Amino acid sequence: MGQKKSVDPAEVKRKLAVLEPQLEAMLQRFEEEQDPKKKLKLGKQADRIRDRIRQAKTGERFSRQTKRDIVAYSFIAPNFIGFAVFTLGPVIFAFILAFLNWDGNNPMRFAGLENFAMMIGNQRFLASLKNTIVYCVATVPITLAAALGLAVLLNQKIKGRNFFRTVSFFPYVASLVAVAAVWNMLFSPAKSGPINMILYNLGMAAKDLPKWSADKDWVMFTIVFFSVWKNMGYYMVIYLAGLQGINSELYEACSLDGANAWQRFRYITWPQLQPTTFFVTIILTINCFKVYDIVYMLAGGSNGVLNESAIVLVYHIYEEAFRNWNLGYASAVAMVLFLIVLAITLVQFRGEKKYAN
Amino acid sequence: MKKRIVSLTLVAAMAGSLAACGGNTTAETTAAPAADAGTTAEAAAEGTEEAAPADGQTVLKWAMWDKDLTVYYQPLIDAYEAAHPEVKIELVDLGSSDYQTVLATQLTGSGSDFDVVTIKDVPGYTTLVNKGVLEPLDEYISRDGVDLAAFKGLTDQVKVDDKLYELPFRSDFWVMFYNKDIFDAAGVDYPTNDMTFEEYDALARSVTNTTPGEEVYGAHYHTWRSAIQLFGILDGKNSIIGGNYDFLKPYYELILAEQEDGVCQDYATLKTSNLHYSGAFSQGNVAMMNQGTWFIATLIDKIKSGEYTECTNWGMVKYPHAEGVEPGSTLATITALAIPTTAKDKDMSWDFVKFVCGEEGADILASTGTIPAIMNDDIAEMISSIEGFPADEGSKEALQTANLYLEMPVSPNSSEIEIVLNEAHDNIMIGNSTIDEGIADMNEKISAILGQ
Amino acid sequence: MKIKNTKTRAFRVILYVVLIALALMMLVPFAWMLSASFKLDKDVFIFPIQWIPENPRWQNYVDIWNRIPLLKFVLNTVKLTLIVTFLQLLTSSFAAYAFSKLNFKGKNTLFLAYIATIAVPWQVYMVPQFMMMRSFGLADTHLAIICLQAFSAFGVFMMKQFYEGIPTELCEAARIDGMSEYQIWYRIMLPLSKPALSTLTIFTFVNTWNDFLGPLIYLTTEAKKTLQLGLRMFISQFGSEYGLIMAASVLSLIPVLIVFLSLQKYFVEGVAASGVKG
Repeated sequence: MGQKKSVDPAEVKRKLAVLEPQLEAMLQRFEEEQDPKKKLKLGKQADRIRDRIRQAKTGERFSRQTKRDIVAYSFIAPNFIGFAVFTLGPVIFAFILAFLNWDGNNPMRFAGLENFAMMIGNQRFLASLKNTIVYCVATVPITLAAALGLAVLLNQKIKGRNFFRTVSFFPYVASLVAVAAVWNMLFSPAKSGPINMILYNLGMAAKDLPKWSADKDWVMFTIVFFSVWKNMGYYMVIYLAGLQGINSELYEACSLDGANAWQRFRYITWPQLQPTTFFVTIILTINCFKVYDIVYMLAGGSNGVLNESAIVLVYHIYEEAFRNWNLGYASAVAMVLFLIVLAITLVQFRGEKKYAN
Repeated sequence: MKKRIVSLTLVAAMAGSLAACGGNTTAETTAAPAADAGTTAEAAAEGTEEAAPADGQTVLKWAMWDKDLTVYYQPLIDAYEAAHPEVKIELVDLGSSDYQTVLATQLTGSGSDFDVVTIKDVPGYTTLVNKGVLEPLDEYISRDGVDLAAFKGLTDQVKVDDKLYELPFRSDFWVMFYNKDIFDAAGVDYPTNDMTFEEYDALARSVTNTTPGEEVYGAHYHTWRSAIQLFGILDGKNSIIGGNYDFLKPYYELILAEQEDGVCQDYATLKTSNLHYSGAFSQGNVAMMNQGTWFIATLIDKIKSGEYTECTNWGMVKYPHAEGVEPGSTLATITALAIPTTAKDKDMSWDFVKFVCGEEGADILASTGTIPAIMNDDIAEMISSIEGFPADEGSKEALQTANLYLEMPVSPNSSEIEIVLNEAHDNIMIGNSTIDEGIADMNEKISAILGQ
Repeated sequence: MKIKNTKTRAFRVILYVVLIALALMMLVPFAWMLSASFKLDKDVFIFPIQWIPENPRWQNYVDIWNRIPLLKFVLNTVKLTLIVTFLQLLTSSFAAYAFSKLNFKGKNTLFLAYIATIAVPWQVYMVPQFMMMRSFGLADTHLAIICLQAFSAFGVFMMKQFYEGIPTELCEAARIDGMSEYQIWYRIMLPLSKPALSTLTIFTFVNTWNDFLGPLIYLTTEAKKTLQLGLRMFISQFGSEYGLIMAASVLSLIPVLIVFLSLQKYFVEGVAASGVKG
């Protein structure tokens, strides 16, 4: 791409006559500038002019920065093109749909903000928004703490480490049908259910025993508890990988200073894991907002319809899109979901930057 | 200037990786036939969409579910292909659990290549009609003089704006299955084809045993709302999409009292444990269970294979009825065929639909133990003479119905109403709300939906 | 000294007790699957549960091979999973290198586009995506599933976060030595990111292996279907063959566990970066 061409000396001279005085003027201003921020900016501008002078002298077609950009784009291209065509395109289309009325076959009709207005009056939407937020607020911190704890624990030199690690990953890979069945069995609403038996023996009246995933007041609790247990192994794996990136010399130095286990965690592990935690928090938050199958399996019953006590946003999207074929409305709900997640992500991004500084 | 160069190189880079993608495509397409080579020639022909079948046959693509679990597809196809050698029927199995979702997705836009589609339920049917992807059948029906009276009014119940978009070929209805051994052991007479709800309740209570460890449940209701809620519409006076549900109260009171007294199993436990109705009945501790006629084939099959050992001595009677109503009124679930608007040769599709839903199709269905949409004495005789069908006269008589009501009538709002009804049913049965609260909830929400 | 020893020992004992308790909790569903796979359908959901079936039904494991073309489904799934995982690893780590170690125009915007799509549930754009794929002629092809799965934003995001933990000094030193960016990626980043690559492999493998809705919508020809679709064939409208489903689920777990176990060892190798950052 940037191969040398025959250089016309007159052309070079003409270009240099323009560029060199520019550079000098820029350097002059650079020397005089007091404000460090502006100084930095001027320095960069000077670099760019130098780049162009070099370009003019050698006759290369691209400047260094452009070359760097091209290299960077070449790294991104294979993934980005597939991503843009197969994911980003449909996603953008879905966003446009939020302002339309469409059932997939009949002609589209412009709806303006109609779909958004419909949400406000829709009880199932309001219930699903509330449940989703409650679920996220409860699940994210608990899962994060459990996954981190488990990862730190299983990163110790202990016997049977591989066994324990594999086992922790089990609930995540095991079939959801099986996992939900076991869970509903443990938390059976009958008096003879294992957990209720314990509560009963602890002196709880048979009438007050919770009906867990069938009980409108306990269903969210059951779901949160279940999803922490099912998913912590997944995030543990990410943390385990993150832990391998911590330089062991840091721990050695720390031990020499006489730090105890908690201090080692507080001053080395936790700060060193910051990029991982950032990643885990974002992915976990997003996944929590997108929760659907767990709730469906646990509280859906034989007809797979979720009640207002357990309905979540993605289920609402699903039923509107595929039961009623209100693709526009479903997209509008998704947009609300998206904006919430985006806001949270941006706050986290800012938090990370602050931390890094 | 610079910007243009950047974008130019970007385009070049994209073209490069697109070429790489293209390379992938060819690799993929060459790999696919190789992978198919192991299977039959038929499967390979399915792989390529426009494949011309052997000796000028036309392929008819039929969307359905449970190809391997359903016994009647193959006999139907064999019979039709024998009569029409120029047609080749190709089954496309879209799976049972999400059938309507997948079918609706496939029919979205205009690229679908199905010629005949099976319709699984009424909300799914309404959805497809609203989407405008189904062909109205009225013209074909009047042209060929098909007699709709044979469908006993079912076709009238699935008309949308006075047009018919599907023709039922299979019509299951609900009956009361019972376990004769339990009645024998309790020394109580078997249920009859003429029971009022009071008599039914008394009978269920008389065989119930609540001793821990030896429980016998007089009745069993599956967790579908139809199993309980729809007792209320059988007198023909009320509609499940009417907007007022006060008429459901006596039925909920009856069932909740049974649940309280241990006559039937606790709804909440059944719901969370996902116990299938067949699993419940086959335990041998359920005296009576209301369920659809699709359960007949399962029972016969599983008893024959030796899996069900505790309910081998079973029978069935008509649904209980309200005071003063003719016995034999029951709920129906239809399975129907429809022609998508994108079908390539609609006359050919119609010919097949006419065959499956007509009398020839009905005979074939009945011979496999399935209840066809057209029911007459001959067909009832055929079904009751299948090996494994109970020998008593009552069970045979139970196959004759008086009035059939769809589990969910056609309405533009059927799927929204369905959700409200389900939720209220769930809350009442679990005890999250009282009967009055639940009914008030239905009245309020469904009136709102209908008032839109 | 002695006190400290007893203390450590007590700590160890508690640690193991906790771990074993946790392990039991995690193993319960698997035990249930295993036990259900030896039962008749009617006994699967019976409560209280019978953990060891009286008459274990080995027939379930024979039946699943006869009832559906299981081998064909397994081969399809293996093929899809391998291609997707390979593409995902390659393109994600490639793109992640640019996002974490190179400066270029539009970096933040592009990256935001990636993260933003993670937040959009698939159910929303599934229909437009399907219509697009069909207009490309990709309906009912394995290529559709590959395109769907191989370019996920998740992989790029994850790899980028891990690359950020690798000191930039390493790359700069390599640049001074005259390595091209491609060489740096291949010679330095890839070997250093084995734990991350293993993690991504496991996740992609598990997701593709267990994916159900994608293949359900795209693959209609029997000969092209995947294992998870095959499993669902046992769930019929009027009855559910849970014994068979669980037997097949147990079998389908095995490859996932093999992948997990064999990649485990990379979770213990620390980054060989000592001396660079300290």
